[in-house]
Amino acid sequence: MAPKINGVGVSGEDTRICVVMVGLPARGKSFIAQKAQRYLKWLSVPAKTFNVGNYRRHDAPQPTAEFFDTTNAEGERTRRAAAEAAVADMLRWFKSGGVIGILDATNSTKERRKWVIDRVQSEGVDVLFVESKCDDEELIMANIRDVKTTSPDYKGQDPEKAALDFRERIRNYEKVYKSINADGDEDDLTYLKIMNVGKQVIINRIRDYLQSRIVYYLMNLHIRPRSVWLSRHGESMLNLEGRIGGDAGLSHRGEEYALKLPQLVLDSVGSDRPLTVWTSTLKRTISTARHLPKHYNQLQWKALDELDAGVCDGLTYQEINDIYPEDFQARDEDKYNYRYRGGESYRDVVIRLEPIIMELERSEDILIISHQAVIRCIYAYFMQKTQEESPWVPVPLHTLMKLTPRAYGTELQTYKANIQAVSTWRGKGSTARHEDPVPEGGL
Amino acid sequence: MSGRLFHSGRIAIVMVGLPARGKTHICVSMARYLQWLGVKTRIFHLGDYRRATVGEGGQVPQDYFYPNASPASVILRQKILKKCREDIYAWLNHENGQVAIYDAVNPTASGRRSLAKEFAKHDVQTLFIESYVDDEEILKENARNVKISSPDFHGMDPDEAASHYLQRIQTKIPVFETMEEESELNYVKMTNAGQRFFYNNVSFNYLSHRIVFYLTNLHVKFRTTFFVRAGNATEEDSFKADAPLCEEGRAYATKVCETLIAHREEERQERIARGGVDVPLRPLTVWTSTRLRTIETADPFKEKGFKVRQRSQMSQINPGVCERMSERVIRATWPDEVVKHELDPYHHRYPRAESYHDLAVRLEPIILELEGEQNDLLIIAHESVLRVLYGYLMHCSTRDIPKLKFPRDEIIEIIPAAYQNEAKRIHITGVDPKMVPGSPEDIRIPVPGSPGSSPMAGGLGSPAVPMDLPTTSRPPEKVVNTAKEMVADKVADED
Repeated sequence: MAPKINGVGVSGEDTRICVVMVGLPARGKSFIAQKAQRYLKWLSVPAKTFNVGNYRRHDAPQPTAEFFDTTNAEGERTRRAAAEAAVADMLRWFKSGGVIGILDATNSTKERRKWVIDRVQSEGVDVLFVESKCDDEELIMANIRDVKTTSPDYKGQDPEKAALDFRERIRNYEKVYKSINADGDEDDLTYLKIMNVGKQVIINRIRDYLQSRIVYYLMNLHIRPRSVWLSRHGESMLNLEGRIGGDAGLSHRGEEYALKLPQLVLDSVGSDRPLTVWTSTLKRTISTARHLPKHYNQLQWKALDELDAGVCDGLTYQEINDIYPEDFQARDEDKYNYRYRGGESYRDVVIRLEPIIMELERSEDILIISHQAVIRCIYAYFMQKTQEESPWVPVPLHTLMKLTPRAYGTELQTYKANIQAVSTWRGKGSTARHEDPVPEGGL
Repeated sequence: MSGRLFHSGRIAIVMVGLPARGKTHICVSMARYLQWLGVKTRIFHLGDYRRATVGEGGQVPQDYFYPNASPASVILRQKILKKCREDIYAWLNHENGQVAIYDAVNPTASGRRSLAKEFAKHDVQTLFIESYVDDEEILKENARNVKISSPDFHGMDPDEAASHYLQRIQTKIPVFETMEEESELNYVKMTNAGQRFFYNNVSFNYLSHRIVFYLTNLHVKFRTTFFVRAGNATEEDSFKADAPLCEEGRAYATKVCETLIAHREEERQERIARGGVDVPLRPLTVWTSTRLRTIETADPFKEKGFKVRQRSQMSQINPGVCERMSERVIRATWPDEVVKHELDPYHHRYPRAESYHDLAVRLEPIILELEGEQNDLLIIAHESVLRVLYGYLMHCSTRDIPKLKFPRDEIIEIIPAAYQNEAKRIHITGVDPKMVPGSPEDIRIPVPGSPGSSPMAGGLGSPAVPMDLPTTSRPPEKVVNTAKEMVADKVADED
């Protein structure tokens, strides 16, 4: 797992953190857990979620609300056993190199939280509680209908009945639920409390940088509906020659794409609500954005510039293979970690894109016009692509992608401009100037 | 571009809190961070206006801060407030200011509400930052650190002076409402110097969010940061080559390691000699960039068991098209760019190159991590990176940052102090004078104020020693920073 020439990104080497979710059901805990895990893995921090509900389902696949009544001894025992199994698995996972384990359960009583602390801290793992608190009944019911009625607990049941049963289940939790430090005697805990989807936030005793990174990321999340649009620049003069990098202008067909982009975006957005446009600082993305409507706010980010190919900048793949045959091969063997001499690796690009991802999470509708490698990295973040896959993802020219985050994952739509362009995708080992992507695994 | 960065509009950061709550420390740190990010920021201390109004040696009336103050006091108070606000608006409206930090007690909820309304009328968003302290120890520590230099407490036992001082605040400002349930305001309430934060509606724009994250990482810890250049490489003048250290460079790396270890040990002995407790040295972590020469310069530390981490964000400034070009060639090839560069060496970007401002934005996560770091830190990096990091820690103006010099025969030590960090230079003996000066792989364009293209010319804000000093027996030496003046009279002020 140790990369050959790179550092280990942002991970604090010695810290191991158990992120313990806290909150009543239907407060978006799993949503938060899932996002945090995706973000951390994207940054190469080993992260894994342990969902207590999944452990419980072994013993009680489709329980009714009564099962969750705290006076139901049998239910109580089963749920306790599930929590123990999840924590035991997590501790084993830490021993095998895990860095951030996320315990996804309600953990809604002081006793349960105390138990988790005792269990986890004795193994030298720090505990960070993350509570999602929400009193907005409408938001809660919307969440129940969207997510919970499709849960395995209610498979094959009438959705309306399922929703009611689930509301009942929550009431059982409400009886014993204690928000963190509500009584003032949990002041020693390290915690993040997010109230009403980020309107108010409390953080308490955050100790190190990695903790503050997670906290900051989670503070940026919101659930207002929005989409992110991604496009590469129009075909450039260097694309025509099959040369990488450079700072060339658009080809004739690239110009055509720039002219067509406003309509393509309008069709995809479906209304004239304005987008914020982010480009790189290179000519080809700025040119591609220049016909977009005037009321779209445009911003240039240096961090969106193409992966720096160092000494190989401006060469064709054939030339790279001729001049630096060992590098050419090394790159194909581990494209994610390979850093061009005097340039960057995909891993480096991910690290420099991290502030962009933070800002993306905080923002609403954004259109990003950037470059192949950069879009691959952003795409990998949203679509959970592994480091083996992401550097090979085909991102064709003259195509607009729309990514819409949903409760469990991201929805992708693509819009072709139907303007011809060369393909800049390259298969492993190939030095072809232009080559069509292999059909499977495409966008 | 709007001239104001990040299209974030104008923000008034309004401080809330009684004296001795560390407000000034927060103001100064925040201003330093924002200015370094390129945001035009200015602090307005209400206390300055009060002093200016009542005159030298004058006193405000006894009931000045009372809720039921006499009409005369109320009128005086309003006059002082008005003058301060007018200056804030004038600066925001006519001097293209972006973030105004308004440093005052702002003790009542109603006062804060009307303040936010007033700013909104001027199209300025308000972010309140309260520093609330209920921990007696922290209160006393704050009072001891900054306030007892006042002549009133001359010769008094520090603890006693601190209690007196705190009592005096209590009498002077009897009513203070901490921020609670002010749900229509954007605010951060920081309790006990960062132990807890409460945020209400703080995510209104990009800048407000950066500010919040910065505050979260800001902590007052005694921890030292060292800077040193990488040794020289086999292919010195190429950015792209990423060459390894040459023989000489390796010898240099060993010297750096020996010098720093000896220096730390010496300081420890001095502390003991001064009657201090023999506490073990704080652990030292080494950060390098991912460039070979910096990694290899850290090798002697690694061999001694120090933790070395690579940070890809710390790569040197990218020279773009100027790679391997001499100054003459650059002037001939890019005459227009050279003119632009000379006008604004901090923000100007050669084709495909990075500006210093680009570099600062790239290094921002490093700054935040640096603020959160608990160990002592040695940063081995290219001169351009050291300039930007040093510029942040020492509050240098963006005009001066591109001119800072880091000769190879010095380790720079940055020591945190109340409002302004201090820097010391530790001389490394026996470094070949040939390899001492600035980086040859730097963009070789002279910046205004430095005659010719000689890398030896020191700029105004240079941390470097005058080069004519004998280099054999230079003792560690303090670098005084002018930015301290910003709060100079604030230190003795009791607000």
